[in-house]
Amino acid sequence: MAEVSLSAQHLVKRYGGVVALADGSLDVGSGEVVALMGANGSGKSTLGKIITGAVVPDGGRLLLDGEEVRFSSPQAARRAGISAVYQELSLVPDMTVAENIWLANEPVALGRVRRKERKERTTRLLSLFEDALGPSVGPDSLVSDLSPSDRQIVEILKALSREPRVMILDEATASLGARQVERLFELVGEWKAQSMALIFISHRMEEIFQIADRATVLRSGRTVGAADLMETSEEELVGFMIEGGVADRHIEHPADADGEKTVLLEAEYLRSSVLNGVSLQLREGEILGLGGLQGQGQSDLLLALFGAVPHSGTVRLAGEETHFSRPRKAMKKGLAFVPGDRGGEGLLSIRSILENLLLPSWSRYGAFLNMSRARNDAEEVSQDLRLKMGSLDHPVSSLSGGNAQKVVLGKWLMRDPKVLLLDDPTKGVDVGAKGEFYKILSDLRQRGVAIVLHSSDDEELLSLCDRVLVMRDGVVRRELSGADLNKSALVSASVGAASSSPDSPPSDGAP
Amino acid sequence: MSAARTSVGQRLHRVALRQSYAFALLLLVVAVAINYYLQPNFFQPGILSGNLLLFVPLMLVAVGQTAVVIGGGIDLSLGAIVSMANVIFVSLMGQETSPSRILLALAAGFLAGILAGALNGFCVAMLRFQPIVTTFATSFIFAGLALYVLPEPGGAMPPGLVNFFYTNPLGLPMVLWVVVVLLLLWSLLRSTRYGSYLYATGGQDLSAFVSGVPVSSVRFLSYCIAGLMAAAGALALALSTGTGNPIGGTDFMLQSIVAVVLGGTRLSGGQGGVVGSIIGVVILSLIQSIVSFSGAPSSWQTLINGLIVVAALAGPGLVALLGRRRRA
Repeated sequence: MAEVSLSAQHLVKRYGGVVALADGSLDVGSGEVVALMGANGSGKSTLGKIITGAVVPDGGRLLLDGEEVRFSSPQAARRAGISAVYQELSLVPDMTVAENIWLANEPVALGRVRRKERKERTTRLLSLFEDALGPSVGPDSLVSDLSPSDRQIVEILKALSREPRVMILDEATASLGARQVERLFELVGEWKAQSMALIFISHRMEEIFQIADRATVLRSGRTVGAADLMETSEEELVGFMIEGGVADRHIEHPADADGEKTVLLEAEYLRSSVLNGVSLQLREGEILGLGGLQGQGQSDLLLALFGAVPHSGTVRLAGEETHFSRPRKAMKKGLAFVPGDRGGEGLLSIRSILENLLLPSWSRYGAFLNMSRARNDAEEVSQDLRLKMGSLDHPVSSLSGGNAQKVVLGKWLMRDPKVLLLDDPTKGVDVGAKGEFYKILSDLRQRGVAIVLHSSDDEELLSLCDRVLVMRDGVVRRELSGADLNKSALVSASVGAASSSPDSPPSDGAP
Repeated sequence: MSAARTSVGQRLHRVALRQSYAFALLLLVVAVAINYYLQPNFFQPGILSGNLLLFVPLMLVAVGQTAVVIGGGIDLSLGAIVSMANVIFVSLMGQETSPSRILLALAAGFLAGILAGALNGFCVAMLRFQPIVTTFATSFIFAGLALYVLPEPGGAMPPGLVNFFYTNPLGLPMVLWVVVVLLLLWSLLRSTRYGSYLYATGGQDLSAFVSGVPVSSVRFLSYCIAGLMAAAGALALALSTGTGNPIGGTDFMLQSIVAVVLGGTRLSGGQGGVVGSIIGVVILSLIQSIVSFSGAPSSWQTLINGLIVVAALAGPGLVALLGRRRRA
């Protein structure tokens, strides 16, 4: 394979007013693995997506073999020899492994797909992972029959089938088993020897030190450093990822934590398809944070507490044992859940603000709805929330992101919840609206509402929460409170750096 | 690694998914049994192929519908396209026997079908209109054009062609030839890159798109294929009746969808095939004769068709569900 070099220089990407990437730079060449690192929201996915053509940058340059290139689509990047292994899978479930790997790249003769050749080539690709794949995985297996880890392997093979010169592995190991990761790393070694250039995006420190030669660290959308991993320690890397180096910026917490308040919600050994035995206690007037990397079971924990996903384990509400098999039951007991996906789960965007606010509460207004009372209540809540709107009758789609999120919160506030479960509520919300949102949360906290807040924004967790549970692989890895609740502890517990291994081993066993 | 180690449950599940016409085969057996019970001489080759010949037009239209549905769409205008192409064939051909005139009429009819399909495809794939509403709306355009070309049923097809339609070339019934040709054409299409694109587009268009499949063009072409097949159906209809009818295709709209659903092609796209749809058409023809032999009023036909569709919609789902249970 010919030599290759890729250089991203000062790339910029804005989404509306939000700057996702302010100054992203990265260099990688043949026979090299560069790890792209950064805390949540530091812009590494955006940088990766620009290189693979999935996102078009607003500024900066991308050089391939020294020449400036501009990719308008993933196909364009692929033609130039850049392939990506996507985290969100690009496979069609009802097609076979062979059909998926060679989709839009089929071996063709006289207009017809050469199935035999496709099958042979697929078998050859699959044999790369021979003993690391499920027993029944073959070229003719349906992708929908495969386990998530085997699908990820197929995704990797699909990227490989395009014979890329530059390959981007974006969290490709997240769903793989240990044996598969090991095999992948062996292959990465072979690919390096064949002069491929690899960019490895991962949160897992130990993996990065195992296979990467260099690391490029992003912080708040800027490339803040490139390090030779032979000469860098984990602590130094974590330091790079945190603003101001290893020294922490101290953030004032809302008020003194107190053990006096009564425990309102208690969960023991919650298990679900994602959770592996999570226990927690939530007191009145407390904000409990759920941190860690994205997708480590935080959302599932909230959904389990709300009765929206099947789960086992014990949940006690004010000392009384309950099992919420359905959100309706949890709602009756005073729980409320604010989802992160406003459009999909939280709001009916074409209906009026009034209707959205009242949706969970209609039962309180009689069989024949008492509209004037309902409207008054809605007015009150919208004022409490300082909702910026034309009128209650305007559709939710007329609101800005931040105000729409307030409506999601407002519809639950109308029910006077005792426990509020928030699933990344400020994602994609502008800074001003975030501030108001925090103010509302702190008011609620004063009134004794117990809040569980999952956030992908570490700063938010640090500044709002009394305690933070750091989750990884469906268990709580570490609980941070008081002096421990600082940025470096949060980041190192999230990425699982050796220095922050949990005090007690995670409780994997059943109760 | 080998497929041999696949569990029985998994294999059943796969059969249910891939050979999605398993349920249609079951229905076919039941329908054949009932027919045989009611009318033992029904299965004499001559009578059977004569009966099935009447369903050749629907067969052709259903194949086109299958392509659209697999690509994730639906075409409610196929019946109207049949009417339109039918009257074009009849009014241009007349009783003329000069080959050039016949070729001209054939070209015009097929071109009209393809253009109608292209209009649908353009609206749905390029302008991203809703397929159901779009094709329902365009069906009025095509139905209107049909009435403009031939306001009253009438006209006649060249007798030579009509007679040929009722012959048995090489001693085999015409309907068998049609089925064989359709299956050959379909397996050819399936083996091209386009075939693979079509299933991918209907299966998960976003995944197909990021993999580099030209999703819009794939959809567009599926509607063109359906238009072409509707024109072929219109020709078969003109040959089997020998005359033209500006509303002759009306029933094809729903019946083609019924046949596709019966054949196990998933309405949300990405799964199924023409084999199932052809079986579906045969089942429809058998049901019709069951209703007529059983002495029930012919108005029951519609009721029974409706019940069968509900059963057919539930059937493959049940099979898939059973497969999944077994796996779990």
